Amino acid sequence: MAPKVQFIREDGLYHSFCGLVSVGWLYQKIKDSFFLILGTHTCAHLLQNTLGVMIFARPRFAVSLLEEADLSSSAPSLESQIAEIRAEHKPSVIFLLSSCTPEVMKVEFEGLAHSLSTPELPVLFVPASGLDYTFAQSEDSVLQALIPFCPVAPPEDKRLVFLGSVNDAIAEDFALEAARLGIPVAGFLPAAHFHELPPIGPGTIIAPLQPYLAKTATQLRNERDATIVTTLFPFGPDGTRRFWEDVALAFDIKVDLSEREAAAWQRISEHTALLRGKKIFFASDILMELPLARFLRNAGAEVLECSTPYINRRFHAAELEQLNGIRLVEQANFDRQLRDIAEQQPDLVISNMITSNPLIGRGIVAKWGTEFCFMPVHGWSGVNTLAQMFTRALRRHARLDPLGSDAIWTAGLMPSASGDVIPLR
Amino acid sequence: MRLAYWMYQGTAHHGIGRIANSMRKVHAVYHAPQGDDYVTTIFSMLERSSQFPAMTTSVVSGNDLSTGNIRLPETLRQVEARVNPDLIVVVASCSTTLLQENLEIAAQSANLACDVLVYDANPYRMQEVGAADRLFTDLIKTYATPQPRTPYPSVNILGPASLGFHVKHDLTSLRRMLKALGIVVNVVAPWGASVDDLRRLPAAWLNIAPYRELGARAADYLEAQFGMPALRDAPIGVQPTLRWLDTLVSQLRQAGAITMTLPPLTDFSLDGMSAPSAVPWFARTCDMDSFAGKSAFVFGDATHTVGITKFLADELGMPIAGAGTYLLEEAPWVREQLQGYVAADQFLASEEFQVVEKRIGALRPELVCGTQMERHSARKHDLNCMVIAPPTHIENHLLAYRPMLGFDGADTIADEVYTTCTLGMEKHLIDLFGDAGLEHGGEQETEDRRQKTEDRRQELEASQLVGEGGNTPPASHLTSPVWSTDAETMLKKVPFFVRGRVRGNIERYASERGIAEISAEVMLAAKEEIGA
Repeated sequence: MAPKVQFIREDGLYHSFCGLVSVGWLYQKIKDSFFLILGTHTCAHLLQNTLGVMIFARPRFAVSLLEEADLSSSAPSLESQIAEIRAEHKPSVIFLLSSCTPEVMKVEFEGLAHSLSTPELPVLFVPASGLDYTFAQSEDSVLQALIPFCPVAPPEDKRLVFLGSVNDAIAEDFALEAARLGIPVAGFLPAAHFHELPPIGPGTIIAPLQPYLAKTATQLRNERDATIVTTLFPFGPDGTRRFWEDVALAFDIKVDLSEREAAAWQRISEHTALLRGKKIFFASDILMELPLARFLRNAGAEVLECSTPYINRRFHAAELEQLNGIRLVEQANFDRQLRDIAEQQPDLVISNMITSNPLIGRGIVAKWGTEFCFMPVHGWSGVNTLAQMFTRALRRHARLDPLGSDAIWTAGLMPSASGDVIPLR
Repeated sequence: MRLAYWMYQGTAHHGIGRIANSMRKVHAVYHAPQGDDYVTTIFSMLERSSQFPAMTTSVVSGNDLSTGNIRLPETLRQVEARVNPDLIVVVASCSTTLLQENLEIAAQSANLACDVLVYDANPYRMQEVGAADRLFTDLIKTYATPQPRTPYPSVNILGPASLGFHVKHDLTSLRRMLKALGIVVNVVAPWGASVDDLRRLPAAWLNIAPYRELGARAADYLEAQFGMPALRDAPIGVQPTLRWLDTLVSQLRQAGAITMTLPPLTDFSLDGMSAPSAVPWFARTCDMDSFAGKSAFVFGDATHTVGITKFLADELGMPIAGAGTYLLEEAPWVREQLQGYVAADQFLASEEFQVVEKRIGALRPELVCGTQMERHSARKHDLNCMVIAPPTHIENHLLAYRPMLGFDGADTIADEVYTTCTLGMEKHLIDLFGDAGLEHGGEQETEDRRQKTEDRRQELEASQLVGEGGNTPPASHLTSPVWSTDAETMLKKVPFFVRGRVRGNIERYASERGIAEISAEVMLAAKEEIGA
């Protein structure tokens, strides 16, 4: 067995989004769903601001707003709101998401969801509060809630189920690729519709597509006796090759995709040439950091630090093995990271929407990690996009006139900034 | 409890952050779950902050709650070491408020050298605007110090704050006018002010507090406590700006700060030798004839709703179809200000964007002035919209100088109205002949139409649902007449950009008369009757 990979756990004073944000893509992925958050003004304000979701005129999500008078009751009444949602949106399933305030109020969510459920319209409890969940993590909770609705597959049904929400085009790519390799596919969790969930049983092989679904994987293993493929996540030529070879092996199919991998590296050679030797620092919160850092390392970059909200030794085992020797941090302290960034002067920092502009203001090339969640970076067809995501910022900044980095061009921009003194007389 | 989709105002802790991020060496610390850290993004994204916004979340996790761990003292020490502030404002969030912890004791145990204010901004009683205004006023109460007036004429500008609507531009416009008058700006707050600047506020002769939402209460306090007169009007439009200048000069004369009178108006122009605003002449040009009768609906905060409504009516001659505000506590003031501009039954005070959207859909004005929310509602109804108040989208944070206040502001607003509405002579030509090659492709239009029918169907269901709650709209809004093929063909001949309005007018005509099917005859009759 490989030596146990070391990682550091800090105090978690880093910037991040609430776990509720995954609603922003899940309601689009599961087309007949509705996401109801039992929360406060804060939750509504979060959703409308963080993902630019105000562009959706008729969102299939809403906040059941707890106001002052509601705070004393630990059993809120949601019947009329469920009726309103049912009439207006006609969903097949309602996900009832928890948030910080009802958690503190000790609302008994399981019972609440159960009492609101009908056979025609199940209401499923999804733990998602910002007290415990960050960013994409709540997708894990949503998928766990869906497990009981996956039909039980008989033991002789030996087929593949992909785990994790990807857009329809990527899903199609993965289904086609599996067919090409002779792997029978039962479906995707989540599926595009509630009633299309794949059957899962002891014969099912689960191939995780997203690195933030450890709880769902564990539950599928424990409750359905399904086999979770331990492999790399399908990002980059290296990850995609290992993914398909390991998945095929689970079906006793031996394939050698080395040529395919080499061709993919060849396709992105202009990007890897630029990435080679570049110092890259991960200070993001998207939970995709481990596979992204592994891709960069294999592409020839030097990863100075890879921090991620949480690491699961079992679910991330294959990735961790490849990251041996890289400084891995769970629950990072952003102050400490800032000091290290100042000292180590990375060529590129993958951070988040909160911190990128201020990092650029310090003369660092920074990129939103969040973009990786919303770009087609999976599998063979995602290789090019993935590589470009890292080089675009590097190239763009290199092209810009260095004059622009003089502090004079940000003078007066921020009222609270030191040094931006507007003369008073 | 109610079902909420979008909110007009941010949360209380967002309001606290707006004050902290406006001021030098003031930092907000949120005792909150990590999920509440999102507010920081709004600053760094919308204002494109080149430095870290002046706020830090002291994370409270589920685990902390079960173990009774409070990280606040350690966070406070980290913040002091990192940014060396004069003042840290600590607030709890919607969830941690319920824990009833003693944050005073926790904060004291950090033993900081700087001032620490544990602020009670109850998120269930306060929203963004109320929390920001209250904190700002309280800080002034804490720090403002009695002192002699400056030996030269000087004023404070109260109210511009981080994420305020075009406030940086407003500030430039105000400074330009004050410069032309030879009046010195003593302190601007909270924008760019330090705690020391707040101490120096009473050195000025007068406070300028143009925003009803932020700064007006502080001006009240400074007037009561230090005898400082205040100019509380918002100079939106040319006439209000002239009155504002007159008042400013006479108030300063009365206070004994100046003896001068107003300089020539050309002194207020950008080049020093032109009209200070192009609006009065622009409004009289023939071009603007096509504006006569174009109606506007205005919805926003208090200051901008009142200012823009009066500007459109008084200076561009537009009829006001309706107006309102989402700031319920300011609604009586807005209503009173708009007497004579908006009929009592066309005044709207609501925090629910769906209510505003329905009103816009029913009125179908030629111009909607609103927030980011109304921009979506207007798009849904195929109407022209300009954003005049927060909440905003990054699209509203443009680079060029676009003030709302002063002479420069009048020009900006008039330009925005002009480019937002469909216009001028060309419009007549297109209306008359209806084919300038601007038509969308036929298929696309059919698809749009299909989508609209679907939206309409859902909307009707929704409105029927609302109707059951006792708030039944007139029956005519509930039944949508069917279009015959020949009428549909005729409608296609109407230029596409007015087609939506014509369709609405004819449908209303038909349903008011109980006509179930719109035939070519009905359409002709309607066109004759209502000039649709």
